[in-house]
Amino acid sequence: MKTRASSFFAIILDNLIWILVLAGLAIFSALSPSFRSPANLVNTLYRSASLGMLVIGQAFAMISGNFDLSSESGLGLTAMVAGLLLATTINGGLGLELSPIYAILIMIAVGLAIGLVNGFLVTKMRMNNLIVTIAMQMILRGLIYIISPGATASFFPKGFSFLGGGTLIKIPLEKGFLPIPYASVFIILAFIIAHIITRYTQFGRNLYAVGSNPVAAKDAGIETDKLIRRVYLISGFCMAIGGWLIAGRLDSATPRIGAGLIFPVQAAAVIGGVSLFGGRGTMIGAFGGLLLWSILDSGLSIMEVSPFWIEASRGLLLLFAVGLDAIKVKGMRRQALEETLAITQVGLKDEKVVTD
Amino acid sequence: MNNLKKIDWMKLLLDNFIWLIVAGVYLYFASNIGGKFSTILNQINILSHAAVLGILVIGQAIVLLTGNFDLSAEGVLSLTTIFAMWLMVEPRKDAGGAMASGLMLHPFIVIPIILILGMLSGWLIGTLITRLKMNNFIVTLAMQLVLRGIAMLISNGQIMTGSPTLFNWLGGKRINGFPVAVGVTLIMYLVVNYLLNHSKFGRELRAVGANRDAAQASGFDPKKTITFAYIISGFMAAFAGWMLLGRLETSISTLGQGMTLETVAASVIGGVSLKGGLGSVGGAFAGVMLLSIIDNGLNLMNVDPFWVQGIRGMIILLALLLEAQKFRYKPKVIHDDVIIATEKTQA
Amino acid sequence: MNTKDTNKITTPILVMNDVSKAYPGVQALRRVNLKVLPGEIHGLVGKNGAGKSTLMAVLMGITEPNEGTIEVDGKVFTSMNSKEAINAGIAYVPQHVAMMDSLTVAENILAGELPKNKFGFIDWKKVNLEAEERLKRLNLQLDVTKKVEGLGVAEQTMLAISKALFGNAKLIILDEPTASLSRSDINRLFNFVKSLRDQGVAFVYISHHLEEVFEICDRVTVMRDGRVVDTKYVKDIGIPELVMMMVGEGVEEYTRDSTCTDEIVFVLNNLTRRGYYEDIKLELKKGEIVGLTGLQGCGSEQLGKGLFGLEYRGIGEVKIHGEEFTAMRPIDSFNQGLAYLPQDRYRYGLVGVRPVRENVTYPILNRLVRLINLINRNEEKKIVADYIEGLDIITPNQEQPVRLLSGGNQQKVVFAKLASTKPTVLILHEPTQGVDVRAKMDIFRIIDELAKQGVATVVISSEIRELIGICDRILVMNSGKLTHEYMKGAKDTTPENILTAIEGGIKNHE
Repeated sequence: MKTRASSFFAIILDNLIWILVLAGLAIFSALSPSFRSPANLVNTLYRSASLGMLVIGQAFAMISGNFDLSSESGLGLTAMVAGLLLATTINGGLGLELSPIYAILIMIAVGLAIGLVNGFLVTKMRMNNLIVTIAMQMILRGLIYIISPGATASFFPKGFSFLGGGTLIKIPLEKGFLPIPYASVFIILAFIIAHIITRYTQFGRNLYAVGSNPVAAKDAGIETDKLIRRVYLISGFCMAIGGWLIAGRLDSATPRIGAGLIFPVQAAAVIGGVSLFGGRGTMIGAFGGLLLWSILDSGLSIMEVSPFWIEASRGLLLLFAVGLDAIKVKGMRRQALEETLAITQVGLKDEKVVTD
Repeated sequence: MNNLKKIDWMKLLLDNFIWLIVAGVYLYFASNIGGKFSTILNQINILSHAAVLGILVIGQAIVLLTGNFDLSAEGVLSLTTIFAMWLMVEPRKDAGGAMASGLMLHPFIVIPIILILGMLSGWLIGTLITRLKMNNFIVTLAMQLVLRGIAMLISNGQIMTGSPTLFNWLGGKRINGFPVAVGVTLIMYLVVNYLLNHSKFGRELRAVGANRDAAQASGFDPKKTITFAYIISGFMAAFAGWMLLGRLETSISTLGQGMTLETVAASVIGGVSLKGGLGSVGGAFAGVMLLSIIDNGLNLMNVDPFWVQGIRGMIILLALLLEAQKFRYKPKVIHDDVIIATEKTQA
Repeated sequence: MNTKDTNKITTPILVMNDVSKAYPGVQALRRVNLKVLPGEIHGLVGKNGAGKSTLMAVLMGITEPNEGTIEVDGKVFTSMNSKEAINAGIAYVPQHVAMMDSLTVAENILAGELPKNKFGFIDWKKVNLEAEERLKRLNLQLDVTKKVEGLGVAEQTMLAISKALFGNAKLIILDEPTASLSRSDINRLFNFVKSLRDQGVAFVYISHHLEEVFEICDRVTVMRDGRVVDTKYVKDIGIPELVMMMVGEGVEEYTRDSTCTDEIVFVLNNLTRRGYYEDIKLELKKGEIVGLTGLQGCGSEQLGKGLFGLEYRGIGEVKIHGEEFTAMRPIDSFNQGLAYLPQDRYRYGLVGVRPVRENVTYPILNRLVRLINLINRNEEKKIVADYIEGLDIITPNQEQPVRLLSGGNQQKVVFAKLASTKPTVLILHEPTQGVDVRAKMDIFRIIDELAKQGVATVVISSEIRELIGICDRILVMNSGKLTHEYMKGAKDTTPENILTAIEGGIKNHE
């Protein structure tokens, strides 16, 4: 078929995220020596690991054409649950002296329960997924406050917090060591696994089918409702793991954990190529989005930009990403129409090619 | 002639059913709590609480009627309160920490400025949604973040106190114990409700929300209508900011957090359909009253505030569930075979 | 069809026996009998409303017949659901195929059953190979790694057909597949379909392009008024006989006296829109009713919408009452004296959940507005009541949501809306579609009455008999150009001639 200039443009857009990541790295490294220290670069992923889990969950949902805006509260809830279960009474917990394994399992159960409810409301009750998950976000946040002990729950056993806060290995350098945190490695692994699922399993490809055209997917024999419920379960699972990571890193749990994360999650996914329209994007791209986000966050903090500028810039980044997404997808559809009009034999006197 | 009368009554009942529920809940609390609930002071409390939310709901309901959402209202609220303080208040280190601009403008200048600010925000959102065809949910969500971010920027996360008395008139003044804010809100509702039910713009709103294409083919301009709806919503959010600031006399950047879902919930409870085209501002007000009464009643019953929030969330979910059910059972319409064939080929 | 096959006794792949289907108010199918043989391309023709779509709906399991049986490859069904139909081997390729656009060709073909390696993970190399393999079996050349949204329409149609085959379809229904195709595309498609036929696949080919039917079909069945008129071998008849069967004897439709005056009120000069129509010239007189007919895709729909302002109009001159017609949006059109009745009234004509009263007055609200945008309810009610009475709209009251009215009455509401704008020119698109017989008469009367009052009307319709009954002249549009004109009462103004001009006309493809 004909190769058009616009498909070249589309290729650039598809890989835009990596261009931006490299640009970000380059700019901040140039502007700040402390940014380009190896320790900082490793730390960037370390700090955004829990966010990364949410990005994975959201990416799964978006590829299938749905949203899960409740993930930030799910993260907070599972973290709070961990806090209560693991901290001693002096440190704000219930003093249960629970083995970390059980705590983690319970967290996962909570996450899955959230996913179960979301999936049920969206598929069986046919409610709009945006509204349902936003309502859940609020309800769960309320729940967090209700169960929270008032004081911060802190000091978790090493057996729990190693993933979020512990060091895997120490790489010897000229001067001292470079600690590689578990979290950094874990999140990379998580994205790899997610990528394998979406690219190399039937379930993963079914996600794309449903997101692209639910009718055609159904015709192909894919059980769309079942798939969507599974997607929300996955998202719930990611919330739990994210909670595990963040509780481990902060070594404490407060009711405010996760609040506001929905914006970076959304922005990272969209700017990484996971389209709001569904059926497009890859986990690798989403990882790129996460990287970009973390680089921006880290770079701007190191340069001591006001945290409020950072807040505002988050919204702008989201707007930018969404705008780009709209342009890209609408552009593809427009292209098809333009091609038809370009090869027509009727009405050639009229120069205009109108696609609206 | 008799037939007509019967239908009118039924319709009247169904349309205003929500008020029955409001009355029911009110009576429940009145009988269970008794004294504390039924005092005049408490009635005023209920209404005061509802005032600010009520103004916001007007804006949200109008946007909902066009089939869209405005999640940015709380951002506008927050920014207008902070911006107003920044413009008006004397910069003092001990005023709470944030540095005001030192301009110390007169409220008569500041109030129009913030109202215009709200309208500008609405205009921008409306344009992004109608001309660039971006998703209304995400755009307004992102806008909320941007506005809050700017608010935090200006205030440095600190509070500012001491808004001038003239400014506080709307939010804080009481005449014989009765808050001006409540009066203004009630008047606004009556006026807006009447206007929407009897004006060309009200028709336009509902037509565009119910069926955008048909509205366009009937002579309306959906892009203009939707943008205008957002401008009104922005205006209302700014107005609510004026009112709230007047009552609190303090600005803080986290103001209004969480109010967005309440505004949607109140509207839905009050019969405004999320699909657009159906419902009224008056119904939304019933929703506001319901939430307000429940809040007040539960508080007086000494229920833990976080439980109150949880219960509110449940009500919201319930309202949404009922709304969704409404659309599951569509009345069967007589279709001709051509219609079915047409539908098929359009699928 | 291979002649040697006529010696074998071939069991039909499909037998529809005495299938009847009625909807409230209309008998869509009357004891239809249809037989399709394996390895046959069986054409199905008939005017709009003849019953083709309903017949296919029954066949696909979308709707159930009231009477009759469907036999697929020996299995007999009295009723079927879609899943059963698919399992029985029936596949439907619509005009606008449903594909997963953002996925590749290979993924669309193998959706749901992607080949895996020994670890259970998808082997993309195998996926592409398998997809290519399948396409090769059908002699189809496509780049399997390309996203479907990047394919041309012809390719997408062929892909859809292939998908149907891979789903083990024995009978494939092609619904107007050539509507948006160029000549070379059509050639490719036809070669593809023919080669499949030679392999034993059966096709039902629905089309309005009679030339094509003759080009590719082996046999053809003509439907009219819900009945099968006859089934013939294509080689045994010609287009004229086919047209006669489609048109039939016909009942006397509504007739009227002409109210055409000499005053020209609406002029189109060299109106051209890229991709849709070219050099449209038209002069409308006060009180005149002009019919415009043609196949789907001929450009008449876009012309109507373009003049009204719902779509881009193109370049060229448009004058109303001698003044330049500058309207680019519906509201401006109304104000300058042009009103449009859309074909799809559910989408464009009415706001279903709103009451009758509101739907009638939308375009004239400016007239009813008093101070600060408030509507004079009393005046509004009066106007609406007048129209309800004048047009005989059956509704319990003015507040009834229009979606609860019957099709005919809904259409009358749209007419009321348009009439209230006091238009100079009225463009009607399929005004009697989805309207029961009684209401149809009412609508003709309304059109007549409006013409009597001096409204110049353009009726875009595929109901040739109706047009002959009410129009002063009928224009035929072919591929964007006005090609024929038939005058009222002239000898050659017959349904057969007009249908031939539309469907058998020389097509202007590349």
